[in-house]
Amino acid sequence: MQTPIDRRTMLRRMSNGFGSVVLANLLGSERLFSATLGPHFPGKAKRVIFLFLNGGLSQVDTFDHKPVLQKYHGKPMPTENPKTESVTGNLLGSPFQFRKRGQSGLAISDLFSQLGEFADDMCVIRSMQTDRPAHDASFFLMSTGHNLAGRPSMGAWITYGLGVENQDLPSFVVLCPGLPTVGPQLWGSSFLPGKHQGTHVVNSEVAPEKLIPNVRNTKISADSQRKQLDFLSKLNRDHSQRHAQDPQLESAIATMETAYRMQTEAMDAFDIRKESENTREQYGDSHFGRGCLLARRLVERGVRMVQIFTGPGQPWDSHDDIMDHKKLCKDADPAISSLIRDLKTSGLLDETLVILGGEFGRTPAAEISAVVKVQNGRDHNSLGFSTVLMGGGIKGGMAYGATDDFGYRAVENPVHVHDLHATVLHQLGFDHTRLTYRYGGRDFRLTDVEGNVVKAIVS
Amino acid sequence: MRLLLLLCTLDRLLLAYDQNDLFEKEVRPVLAKNCFACHSSSPLGNLAMTSSEALRKGGNSGPAVTPGKPDESLLIQAVSHTHARLKMPPSGKLSDAEISALRKWIEEGAVWPDSAVRQMAKPGGVYRITPEQRAFWSFQPVKKPSVPSVKNAGWVKSPVDAFLLKQMEAKGIRPTTPAPKHALLRRVYFDLVGVPPTAGETDAFERDRSPIALQTVVDELLSSPRYGERWGRHWLDVARYTDDKLNIVADEPYANSFRFRDWVVKAFTDDMPYDRFVKAQLAADLLPEQDREPLLAGLGFYGMSAQYQEDRPDVTGKAFLGLTVGCAQCHDHKFDPIPTKDYYSWLGVFTSTRLKEHPLAAPPIVEDFQKKEKEIAYLQKELDRFRQMQSRQLAEILMTRIHTYIPAAWKVMGPRKATVADTAKSGGLDEGALQRWVDYFKRNDHEGDYLAGWRKLIAEGGDLEAAQRLGQEFEATVTAVHQEIRGIEEKNLATLDGNPALAKVALAPYPRGKYVFWVDLFGDSLTGVTNRKGARVLQYSGDDLDRFLEGDWKQHSAELCAKLVAKKKELPAKYPFVHIVEDLDKPKDMKVHIRGNAENPGEEAPRGFLSILSPETPTPFRKGSGRLELAEAIVDPRNPLTARVMVNRIWTWHFGVGIVRTPSNFGQLGDRPSHPELLDYLAARFVESGWSVKAMHREIVLSSAYALSTDPVGANTKIDAENRLLWRANIRRLDVEALRDSVLAVAGTLDPAIGGPPTPINDDKNRRRTLYSFVSRRKLDATLAAFDFPSANDSSEQRLLTNTPIQRLYLLNSDFMMNQAEQFAERVKTNAGEEPAAQVRETFRTALGRHPSADEVRWGREFLESGEPLSRLAQALLSSNEFLYVQ
Repeated sequence: MQTPIDRRTMLRRMSNGFGSVVLANLLGSERLFSATLGPHFPGKAKRVIFLFLNGGLSQVDTFDHKPVLQKYHGKPMPTENPKTESVTGNLLGSPFQFRKRGQSGLAISDLFSQLGEFADDMCVIRSMQTDRPAHDASFFLMSTGHNLAGRPSMGAWITYGLGVENQDLPSFVVLCPGLPTVGPQLWGSSFLPGKHQGTHVVNSEVAPEKLIPNVRNTKISADSQRKQLDFLSKLNRDHSQRHAQDPQLESAIATMETAYRMQTEAMDAFDIRKESENTREQYGDSHFGRGCLLARRLVERGVRMVQIFTGPGQPWDSHDDIMDHKKLCKDADPAISSLIRDLKTSGLLDETLVILGGEFGRTPAAEISAVVKVQNGRDHNSLGFSTVLMGGGIKGGMAYGATDDFGYRAVENPVHVHDLHATVLHQLGFDHTRLTYRYGGRDFRLTDVEGNVVKAIVS
Repeated sequence: MRLLLLLCTLDRLLLAYDQNDLFEKEVRPVLAKNCFACHSSSPLGNLAMTSSEALRKGGNSGPAVTPGKPDESLLIQAVSHTHARLKMPPSGKLSDAEISALRKWIEEGAVWPDSAVRQMAKPGGVYRITPEQRAFWSFQPVKKPSVPSVKNAGWVKSPVDAFLLKQMEAKGIRPTTPAPKHALLRRVYFDLVGVPPTAGETDAFERDRSPIALQTVVDELLSSPRYGERWGRHWLDVARYTDDKLNIVADEPYANSFRFRDWVVKAFTDDMPYDRFVKAQLAADLLPEQDREPLLAGLGFYGMSAQYQEDRPDVTGKAFLGLTVGCAQCHDHKFDPIPTKDYYSWLGVFTSTRLKEHPLAAPPIVEDFQKKEKEIAYLQKELDRFRQMQSRQLAEILMTRIHTYIPAAWKVMGPRKATVADTAKSGGLDEGALQRWVDYFKRNDHEGDYLAGWRKLIAEGGDLEAAQRLGQEFEATVTAVHQEIRGIEEKNLATLDGNPALAKVALAPYPRGKYVFWVDLFGDSLTGVTNRKGARVLQYSGDDLDRFLEGDWKQHSAELCAKLVAKKKELPAKYPFVHIVEDLDKPKDMKVHIRGNAENPGEEAPRGFLSILSPETPTPFRKGSGRLELAEAIVDPRNPLTARVMVNRIWTWHFGVGIVRTPSNFGQLGDRPSHPELLDYLAARFVESGWSVKAMHREIVLSSAYALSTDPVGANTKIDAENRLLWRANIRRLDVEALRDSVLAVAGTLDPAIGGPPTPINDDKNRRRTLYSFVSRRKLDATLAAFDFPSANDSSEQRLLTNTPIQRLYLLNSDFMMNQAEQFAERVKTNAGEEPAAQVRETFRTALGRHPSADEVRWGREFLESGEPLSRLAQALLSSNEFLYVQ
């Protein structure tokens, strides 16, 4: 079992085999070449894992139990006709059994029965809202805080704000075996410096050299490369001397050393084959399982943000048949619960904020449009859905906010996506109104001009 | 007045009036110009300066204003620079008059009149541009200033120098030393053509003692097509050039996007006057007929616009005018005088325009291609229809054979363990069909209990008779389910007649359990493809289907296939075309969308130019969509922005930093010019020169300022550490194009071909200049992205160049770098022979354009003599800071 690495250990590890000059450069370099700010106040969380259920998780089948919905199954919704993207018909009771779980008695359906064991670590926000019941707009809003393309992603903001913890690894890693709908703009850095953009790793591969481009030199030996770098360092130092040790040139020297070390560090971090057979089995030999395992290895090594997309496109988009959720959970449930268990065991959960949810939720009524067949599925719902937060100083064993009797519209303490973002930043030690970046003459922030921290769920 | 105020019973009212006046005329303009940019909607230091309350509340440093007490007010301390830490605004101290106006206002109670609050906050209503807004610097006409006189006149080589030096002298700064000759030459080469000079070129330049040595080189470089490739790419950043469509689900490359890229490159190579360049991109199709053809490709600027993300007003404003018009989509621009109505009057121009392919082939070729394409589509449809019908009938025929296939499947899977082949043969059954039944029974994802009988049969070891009985029962069940589903299908097909929007029409539901079972056997339903991937036991398609066809049916299918294949073979590659736009037959004004919501229309927004750039109410555009009138308004020499914005872009691309550091925002929130007179001088010269970009290059590059070294001067650093006054040259990382192109050039492998379709940058055989790499807006190439290539989804005003480990991994380990280092080493060996010191010298000279020092020769020799190959040394030089950073 990996244990969390504190900063001192990490620095010691980094200093192995290098002279003090290099180390000094390295220590200085963090400030020199990263235009990062550091938190505004001590945050509870240091890292984020965002398990993005792309396509839209159905709240009424998972985390938002609605007995009334069951009662009205097959009947029209008495209060209003749900207006979403496509035509919907009568209410559809959930085919899944809900149970009270943990000390807290949080109701969670059997789709997440394994994860349910950690009910007391979970805060289910049942009153989430987004702007539009359309995939691309909601993907953008959830990932970048804005309905349209062109803004930095949450991960980019986080690494920009927090800076680099482990210089030997990318700070923001995105795992998806292919491209989710909308694509790389969901982890782009936009106008933030390019180094803050997510590094997309196609986790359908297993071997690290296939996951990270150029991470290994297949042609020359490590010794030979070290010699090459030593020669290069002499040239670069001499050159820097001639230019009055210009800070740009000095940090470029440090970056080259970082890259050199990254070759070994990343090869190790990204290699889930180093885990025991048993562990790998627990997580499951699925994209989601391998993704969660990789996510754990990365946060253990100080990666700031890992964002996992379930799969290419929008797998959770169960318009036709909600039974499709069951297939998806067969992979997701063991993967996520294993991740939480391991993070708990190592103590890392305390400082790692785990977010679980999609870009929106689904309607309590069945979709009956011509694009579906069995009318056993649900359409998009932007007015009320559930997002689960765990760890990172979030109160466990609680539900926050509520939807109406049918799970359609958030009626109690609505939490907009901007509020979620504000809360995430708060847990990391940021006042979201002050984490700004000046671009094109204006200060931009993740929460635009909105956002309130949901104080009630913060411990 | 003052006396009267004190005495009069109406004093309060009058005081308010007086303060109103003071506030509107003297205070608000000062605040707007100097403070709002940072202290309004996203208040820096938590200080908002948008109301009296906000000022009294203050920010992180405490209350900013104490009404009646100017000296105690932080605001006054900060602007008069009496506060120990706070000295505002950062752009420079306010004038005494401005400070005393603020003092007076605070003294009199710091009243923020309601009218002012209303004007800032109220949406809708009549929009009025205030005199202060009109007085903003960038909206003033360009006036050509006279060249200032300076003390150190000997340093001045061009008017540019005089303007720069004047400001340096005012601050007591002296320019640093000139750059060494080889460094200057390298700088000019990277700047103008994007590759370093060869060793021979460097030698020749160092030998040339003539005073016009640099000018000769600059003229030569500017006349090279390499120049167009370098500078064309700069514009392509602004034009958000892309080689694929913005498709959020799948890759969709354009086959002809490169024609716009090549047109831009050639426009720079030919020094196309900038006004013509702008007009071509906006309205080439509306220009006089004789001008049109060679300019049409310029319409690619709009011809490849994203279809579902409207960015045209925004990009037009940013690219040509440096105005963030896009900000006025949902509300009046918060800071610049751009009402929402202006946004929609522009949007009306673009929604009166459509995307079009303009063929570059002769009409008969185009017609022939389109005819053949149509024929193929028709044949394909025929074949699909025929096969679908046969497939359905076959499924129904096989359904009536279930009672024989089930016992056969029992023979295979039951106690007898017969093979599929033998069983099929002895029973006269289709082997493939039997295999499908066996596979179906073997699956473990059946839903419902339709297979309970089968499982029981196998589990209890039933005999042939039981299997036959089950076959009869199962066939009856399937037939009943099929009939029910078909019944629903027919009803739904009737509903779908007339192609309604699928998302908006409701169909009769298929009972889930039966449907899942049915899909497993019959596959797709008639009303569209299902996303359930069933076993499709009875559904056959393609060659599998043909197996069951006989006689005329078989022949018909074969003939259709053959015809289709032949027709496809006959179809030539699609003719070339350019992406252009054209006017709709009936151009239409738009209505304002209130809060950007199309379902909430407001007032009419006649197509026209921006209010702030029109003397009165904008004149409505009358000709077609209005694109040509829009273009003409943009390039009208009286327009204060167009020339300023473009010369500032040129300056930015030369120096890495603009005179205005926000090249696409010349509005309130943009930067203020560091050298306003220089900017106006260049803008005036630009128009005088006939909008010649190359004339601007000569003005700038042949100055003393451009030729400065990067050497710091301690005294200067204290006054102007960020080098805003350009007293030295900035050290800059090569952008990805210059970096990769230079590696290829130094290795001697650069393919000089100009233009043509894009190639992926990671293609091992790709030796072309980087600007010819495939640019995707859907998924930007990882190498381009790693080296800060901008997103093609938005107009990019400048590159932000970073320094990351991922970049270094590319230099250390990528196949590209390894291969090029090998090639480079070979080249060095050919020129320098086998002697290590000679090799080291040659490598340095070729890669860095200079001779190595004694130390460097020694380090290199030691490295080689330790047994490392020359290619490793070559790679080290190509990864060295001296190679990556221009001095």
